[in-house]
Amino acid sequence: MRRTLLVAWREFRSVVFTKGFLIGVLLVPVMIGVAILGGTLAARAKPPAVQGRIAVVDASGTASEAVLKRLSSGNAGEGDVAEQVGKLAADQASRLNLPEAQSKQIAQAVEQQAKQAQASRTSLTPEAFGPDADIEALKKEITVAQIRATGEQQGPTPLLALAVIPAGAVRDPARTPEGRLAYGQFELFVHPQLDFEIQESLRRSIGRGIVDTRLASDSRLRAGGLTADDIRALMDTPSPRPISLSKDGEKTSLGPLQLMIPFAFMILLMMSVMTGGAYLMTAVVEEKGSRVMEVLLSAVSPMQLMVGKIVGQMCVAMLMLGVFGGLGVAGLVAAAAIDLVPLYKLAWLVVYFFLAFFVIASMMAAVGSAVNEMREAQTLQTPVMAIVMLPWLLVMPISRAPNSGLATALSFVPGLSPFVMVIRLGGSDPIPTWQYPATVVLGVATAVFAAWAAAKIFRIGVLMYGKPPDFRTLIRWVRMA
Amino acid sequence: MTTAIDIRGVNKRFGPKVAVEALDLTIPTGSLCGFIGPNGAGKTTTIRMVMSIIFPDSGQIRVLGRESALESKDRIGYLPEERGVYKKMRVGEFLTYIARLKGVHASATENLVRGWLEKVGLPEVYRKKCEELSKGMQQKIQFIAAVIHKPDMVILDEPFSGLDPVNRKLLRSLIDEQHREGRTIIFSTHAMFEAESLCDQIFMIHNGRKVLDGSLQQITARYDNRSLLIEPVGDTREAAARLADLGQVQAVAGTGSSRGVLELLLPDGADAQGAMAAALGRVALRRIEIKRVSLEEVFIELVERTSGERLDRSVLAAGGVAADSGAEGGE
Repeated sequence: MRRTLLVAWREFRSVVFTKGFLIGVLLVPVMIGVAILGGTLAARAKPPAVQGRIAVVDASGTASEAVLKRLSSGNAGEGDVAEQVGKLAADQASRLNLPEAQSKQIAQAVEQQAKQAQASRTSLTPEAFGPDADIEALKKEITVAQIRATGEQQGPTPLLALAVIPAGAVRDPARTPEGRLAYGQFELFVHPQLDFEIQESLRRSIGRGIVDTRLASDSRLRAGGLTADDIRALMDTPSPRPISLSKDGEKTSLGPLQLMIPFAFMILLMMSVMTGGAYLMTAVVEEKGSRVMEVLLSAVSPMQLMVGKIVGQMCVAMLMLGVFGGLGVAGLVAAAAIDLVPLYKLAWLVVYFFLAFFVIASMMAAVGSAVNEMREAQTLQTPVMAIVMLPWLLVMPISRAPNSGLATALSFVPGLSPFVMVIRLGGSDPIPTWQYPATVVLGVATAVFAAWAAAKIFRIGVLMYGKPPDFRTLIRWVRMA
Repeated sequence: MTTAIDIRGVNKRFGPKVAVEALDLTIPTGSLCGFIGPNGAGKTTTIRMVMSIIFPDSGQIRVLGRESALESKDRIGYLPEERGVYKKMRVGEFLTYIARLKGVHASATENLVRGWLEKVGLPEVYRKKCEELSKGMQQKIQFIAAVIHKPDMVILDEPFSGLDPVNRKLLRSLIDEQHREGRTIIFSTHAMFEAESLCDQIFMIHNGRKVLDGSLQQITARYDNRSLLIEPVGDTREAAARLADLGQVQAVAGTGSSRGVLELLLPDGADAQGAMAAALGRVALRRIEIKRVSLEEVFIELVERTSGERLDRSVLAAGGVAADSGAEGGE
């Protein structure tokens, strides 16, 4: 036991305490985490605030009012908003029965804050031009404009954008060959350094302003007493989130995320098992190649050596499972979707990890012991690869119907069982309770058999040099006493 | 006398190939034992069975008074023929790991390792990676790995292969020191000189069978009276003709030799003194002596006798006078 643990510890150290592992396995998730966090922060960040003007050339003669209104409400340049916020705060304060002096103070403070907030925001002042405006001159003005951050008080306010609204965008729509109405587009010219979010909001505001104008000018709507807002309300398509019903209560369904959990579970299992297995095989081949194997066998039995190596690599694989699984759980917590993965499922994931790892690792150790170099291992690895590749083909059918006949039957195929069970675990449909202990018993039996057969191959293989054996030879080794 | 290793009726086959057949062997405690045999004779297989790395098909092996080496692994030091080191591991770490595996307490390992490195003249390699060492240095490290846990018995499989004369000498002194400290030492070798000069016991296997077993004196005594070296006065051919029909003489070799020395081959159990006296009576002699047999000659003869290979010497042994230039190999 002590020797087995010594072997395991050396094995663990030899893998984990290397630059390659630390960079490849531990740094990658950290980098992914940083990237996700950075992305979230970046998405939340506001575009840099700028000050300037936007020219609206209205060829229709009717759109500019609505468009300017929309553009102004998008801007919060006006001081009256801060004033309103201040009044609101005073209102609220007086309701709390505070002394007047104090509520005034609060209101002032709030107003001050609001003003500061506004001052740091982008403000583009819209200016309307008639149809006879010199568009080329305006364009030229944009090309020479110097973009300026809010608060910098120097020179005239630069012209940063130009919208040209043709009459066809507002009235007298053309007809498509199919007979549908088609209004004209408007044009939007912007300064190259204008932030894309600001561009987007300009595009949206102007577009809405044009729609407002269309609706307001439609005589049929006016006759029916419909306002633009009424039309909007009529057109709003309802789309509630589905609520999943279970014995435990009602939950907002997370839709496609639900389908990703079986994938995530299987990838976690696969990645940790295969990495550990591959390291194990490499280590065995290396020990054989460097002729250190028999030196070790003078101190430990082949069984102790093999089990020690498997346990050591299992710890490596568990470390990976922990790191990546932890990252996944953290992600789910962050997305408030941890309900998808109840704790008992994670516990079962770990149980099936052990069962899968022992089988795969035993096979990898046996293959590694039989060959002299890595490239000879290719053909002998085929059954291992089959076990590992099959679940990929099965993820979709199994996760869609975790309790189908196919899924249940495959759960009882030795070797495949832990992988299939893990995919089913990720699904939303609970697995019949009896299948857990049944598959665990099967898994343990498979693992014991695999370890026993592997030990036989290992015992002979590690001392065999020369021509690598084929499958028939391996089976003969297993049968040998 | 207690026995360190006791092998009884052991057989081992690998598929159709018989590796070891009906092997009986007793190695007394405290002996320094040479294990010889040609390539593929079954030496390594026998050693591996003693170490319980592989198991015999039938028969019994008792090691250090136990049923198998598994029960006394910590008391055995083993230097395998296929030996190596972890290339990426540091020398100190490697030796510490092996020592710990063999039951040395963690607190004692560092001093032990440093002491040994000092002893083999490599104190500076403690922190070096094993792959940075030369082959000879690695061999020393492997020898340390075999004996670092102060075993009662040391088994060395081909310890001298690949060593230069200086390191051979160092290894011989290290083996000798281990022996003087009371350990049973068994080593296999191809180098008869090494076996002859170090061992007090020799056993040899060929084609999986034991063909030689005993102390060096016993073995040489048995093969000693097997040939006479004669330097006649005058023509060697004529002398050879006269000696050919001498009683007990099976064959005369060396007639073609320019050095004028003839070798009279006698059968097992021959009366060498009588043959000498008879020879003296036949021809005028400058010199006559009983040839001192070397282990190498015994080795070659045993191999040739038991295998189908027919070399010149075996033709001679079969009878008849033959011109032979290889007969004086032992001189």
